[in-house]
Amino acid sequence: MSKWRIIAKHEYLTNIKRKEFLFVTFGIPLFIISILGISFFLIGVEGHNEENKIGYVDRTGLFDSSNLTKYNDEELARKDLLDNKITNYFVIPENYTATGKIIIFSSKKNFADNMKIEDQIRNFLLDNLLKNEPSDIIERIKKPMNSEYFTLNEKGLESEDSGFTIVLLPLVFSMLFSLSIFASSGFLLQSVIEEKENRIMEVILSSVSHKDLLIGKIIGLGALGLTQILIYLIGAAAIILINPLALYLIISQIHISIPLLAAGIIYFILGYVVFAGIMAGVGAIATTSREGQQIAVIFSLTGSFPFMFSQFIITKPNEIFAKALSIFPLTSPITMIMRLSITDVPLYEIIISIIVLVVSAYFIVEISVRIFRASLLMYGKKPTIKELIKYVRQG
Amino acid sequence: MESKMENAVKVLNLSKSFNGQNVVRDISFDITKGEVFGLIGPNGAGKTTIIRMLLDIIRPDSGEIRILNDRLSEETKNLIGYLPEERGLYKKLTVFETLKYLGALKEIDAKERAEVLLEKMGMIEQKGKKISELSKGMQQKIQIIAAIIHDPEFIILDEPFSGLDPVNMKLVKDLIMELGKEGKTILISTHMMDQVERMCNRIFMIHKGEGVLYGKIDEIKSRYGKNTVLLEFEGELKNIPGVKKINNSGNYAELILEPGTDSQVLLKYLAEMIRVNKFEVSAPSLNEIFIQVVEGT
Repeated sequence: MSKWRIIAKHEYLTNIKRKEFLFVTFGIPLFIISILGISFFLIGVEGHNEENKIGYVDRTGLFDSSNLTKYNDEELARKDLLDNKITNYFVIPENYTATGKIIIFSSKKNFADNMKIEDQIRNFLLDNLLKNEPSDIIERIKKPMNSEYFTLNEKGLESEDSGFTIVLLPLVFSMLFSLSIFASSGFLLQSVIEEKENRIMEVILSSVSHKDLLIGKIIGLGALGLTQILIYLIGAAAIILINPLALYLIISQIHISIPLLAAGIIYFILGYVVFAGIMAGVGAIATTSREGQQIAVIFSLTGSFPFMFSQFIITKPNEIFAKALSIFPLTSPITMIMRLSITDVPLYEIIISIIVLVVSAYFIVEISVRIFRASLLMYGKKPTIKELIKYVRQG
Repeated sequence: MESKMENAVKVLNLSKSFNGQNVVRDISFDITKGEVFGLIGPNGAGKTTIIRMLLDIIRPDSGEIRILNDRLSEETKNLIGYLPEERGLYKKLTVFETLKYLGALKEIDAKERAEVLLEKMGMIEQKGKKISELSKGMQQKIQIIAAIIHDPEFIILDEPFSGLDPVNMKLVKDLIMELGKEGKTILISTHMMDQVERMCNRIFMIHKGEGVLYGKIDEIKSRYGKNTVLLEFEGELKNIPGVKKINNSGNYAELILEPGTDSQVLLKYLAEMIRVNKFEVSAPSLNEIFIQVVEGT
């Protein structure tokens, strides 16, 4: 039996119990959900409970209202505001029609309230300015469009998501995938460095080859990453099942198709192997875990380019920039997931990016094995770039 | 003439350099099956590099290695036990988990043997404890158990006595002797030459990457003649006629005699100068032989 299986099993079973794994798998999603939940809850509470009582002082003589309190004297309005009889009042100056200027007074600073008050004032102003127009025209001027998108292609008409899900879905989807990729390859880095620092590496290497050790680690921790994704998917399914509103949202707005899921898994595995290979090499070179983290950050930053430029990728998924990022092996898995979830990516592009990923995964692992072999037991001494090139050539 | 004894290890013209520096230079030796063999030399001589090449942890630049009549493969690795100089274990695993995993890597189910060896080393009560909860001496013992958990044919011990207290040192020595009696082939690598002197049949002495002495300890010593006096004394040793060199350690000294010095004359001379508690004419110690070889005298 190949010894990589024993290593893989060991890595999987010891790392699944790690606090870091439990935190990334359960802690982070729970944290995000609770933050979202709390803020929705708070907004809801404020919106329902506190009515704004608004007064106004009209110096133009053009305005009239049934639900806002009219003051002829600003002094009275000010007094009522200080006595908390009203929450706000605004002044329409004489030159309003020329300048559009409105002066608003509030009893307290509150950004969310300001938006609501502005809405109320805008409606009040429009109602008055357009009082001779029919009511449906007034409504249209207040909200001129309700947009709905369709794609027209050979297959016929397909309804598309609205703006909100277009931005949110690929981001959430790719974030979870990259969280798993970075976490699992990070564990690999830690496990290599720990075994080096523990000095147990030499004992292990007297039993297995460098390649078996590395492959065992990559596979064991990759399985851990897949487990994590599985937990995310099960969690998502559970939320959908217990919450009819979420179910409606998913069915009507989001189309996670089976091919997309399959592509996601393929990109996850390949992307993970690329990063894991790099981390194994970094772990072999680094003399301490801190140094390892410092080198690793360079690669994780490169890997998170798609997030930094997510706006470009999401708004222009078929432009040259997004295409380039979906071929470069460090960014292609995440970029492709983003693009696939919002647009139709030509098949040839998918094939090219997968070929590039497979080839680079192969070479990165191969190079890492050589660096691993050459520099693993040089405790306390980091090889130079020149030495690294020599190791790779010699291998 | 070809030896009738079967070789456990055959090393032929082995060389290795790091960054242009020759760490091991054209080294050849054999280890016979069932013998306790000493690989000795000062720190930095290249001993650990040789061992790592034997285990295929690093690759030689040139030369050949045969272990148990075979090139090193995954199967032969299963027949070798290794105690590295740099000790270490997984801190978070328990003693039993550690032994089970390291046994699994040698493709055996180590459960029963782990219990037997833990019992033997007086560690059975620590079976369920985490490695991080053990004292350093206990960790050393676990490491030694791990090296022989799979009942290996060939055991490599790199500096087995370093960091051991006298009690554990005796325990390890007894274990080595016992394994030797069981017919295991044992390679002890150490810079503490007098330790090996009493345990090994044959040695290979290395200095700055080159082999300087190789063979049976008795034969090597007899080559240097009985030109040494081991002395236990009280008083102060001064220049002594007929003595080339004094390795003085206070109450104990090793005197290297010049050719032609009569030990009886020396004894009389010494008796007048100091109080002699012990006077033994002997072959030089491996330490002294090493110094002579290195100094070219």
